Amino acid sequence: MIEVNNLHKSFGSLHVLKGITEKIDESEVVCVIGPSGSGKSTFLRCLNLLETPTSGEIRIDGEKVTDPKVNINKIREEVGMVFQRFNLFPHMTALKNVALAPMKVRGLPEKEAYDRARDLLKKVGLEDKANVYPSSLSGGQQQRVAIARALAMRPKVMLFDEPTSALDPEMVGEVLNVMKDLAKEGMTMVVVTHEMGFAREVGDRVLFMDDGIIVEKGTPQEIFFDAQNERTKSFLSKIL
Amino acid sequence: MSLLASYIEHAVAVFPSLLRGAVITIEVTTFAIFFGLILGTIAAFGKLSKRSFFKIPSSVYIDFIRGTPLFVQILLFYYGIPGLINGLTGEVFRIDPIIAGIVVCSINSGAYNAEIVRAGIKSVDRGQMEAARSLGMTERQAMKDVIMPQAIRLIIPPLGNEFIALLKDSSLLAIISVHELSKNGMLYVSKTFAAFPTYISVAFVYLALTMGISRILNHIERRLGVSDRSE
Repeated sequence: MIEVNNLHKSFGSLHVLKGITEKIDESEVVCVIGPSGSGKSTFLRCLNLLETPTSGEIRIDGEKVTDPKVNINKIREEVGMVFQRFNLFPHMTALKNVALAPMKVRGLPEKEAYDRARDLLKKVGLEDKANVYPSSLSGGQQQRVAIARALAMRPKVMLFDEPTSALDPEMVGEVLNVMKDLAKEGMTMVVVTHEMGFAREVGDRVLFMDDGIIVEKGTPQEIFFDAQNERTKSFLSKIL
Repeated sequence: MSLLASYIEHAVAVFPSLLRGAVITIEVTTFAIFFGLILGTIAAFGKLSKRSFFKIPSSVYIDFIRGTPLFVQILLFYYGIPGLINGLTGEVFRIDPIIAGIVVCSINSGAYNAEIVRAGIKSVDRGQMEAARSLGMTERQAMKDVIMPQAIRLIIPPLGNEFIALLKDSSLLAIISVHELSKNGMLYVSKTFAAFPTYISVAFVYLALTMGISRILNHIERRLGVSDRSE
């Protein structure tokens, strides 16, 4: 589903990604962990070209997204993204947040888009909040709306950039539950996270990144209980 | 007591002329607000553009206008430009003072508006554009449906201040004999030497006008706030 080949990204003189090569299969849930500044968010943001890779190749569903001739917007329609700080549109109700892109990008008729949005809000357990503005929602609720918003485009892949890091602890669970349901339905997911519980329970594989490269990868079991690399061990010892 | 009586007499006598001036002031200001908004929006997007073809002219325009006095801009446009054309072509070129006033005020106001609009757009959280783009929206769609509706609420209050400043600054057009409010006051004083009652009347008419603009702007602000909620 996603193939990344020797991906590099620099911001000016700062070399953030130093050659990432990775293959993610359909329906796979891959968790990316690593210390801050390791490049995991940048890696994720390169996958839907929110950051333009400096060099290397990314293919999503066979399509070479790093091709300069490619229509970036078309790619992004297939790749949903959930942000750490939700980034809901504050001037729209929860329902409109979800319905906007299908109407504007996919050209869905209004009624259909709103029906779809209502279904998705129901799916994330927020059907009763359809007409509420984001400012009146809790962090956990906002993040669930954000997930529904991304799903409204019926993406093939979902990217999660530390989706629970900005949440109060008691709201982490509700968001993770939505993500677990999604994983069960067979969504291909790449999740930058520090939620080891989630990674262990739902993740098919874990990538440990440090200093712009994937230092170690394996099943959650292998990474969390049988890490081989010193850097992985030292990182895990700090967070577990 | 006779002093007060004569002051009141002058204030009453000058009033019709001040009202005619106020009409010109409102006319010039209204046109300048309208064209200034268009210019300002274009210049704001120009300056935000990544392409230097748009960015450089916008920056030069904004810096030049904001870095020079309106008074000098009025003189330059009304006397300087016709003089230049005359020198180049040998033809006599005249501009109607009111037209010149509207043009200069629009250009002047546009530069300030540009910075207000730009700042408003800039202060919308970056994550908003990223979220919109990540959903497959084009930059234009994101700007229209996501960024601008949020920016406008930040833009309206400072823009209102700018309109009030513009109305007051239009008094400088007296120098090119636009018969606006101040000029009509000056003309009356030059005939009667009744400076105090005339200029205090002029001041109060300006005050009434600026308070009027404030009321209208407050109304618009409230309407925008409300319509955003009930959309």
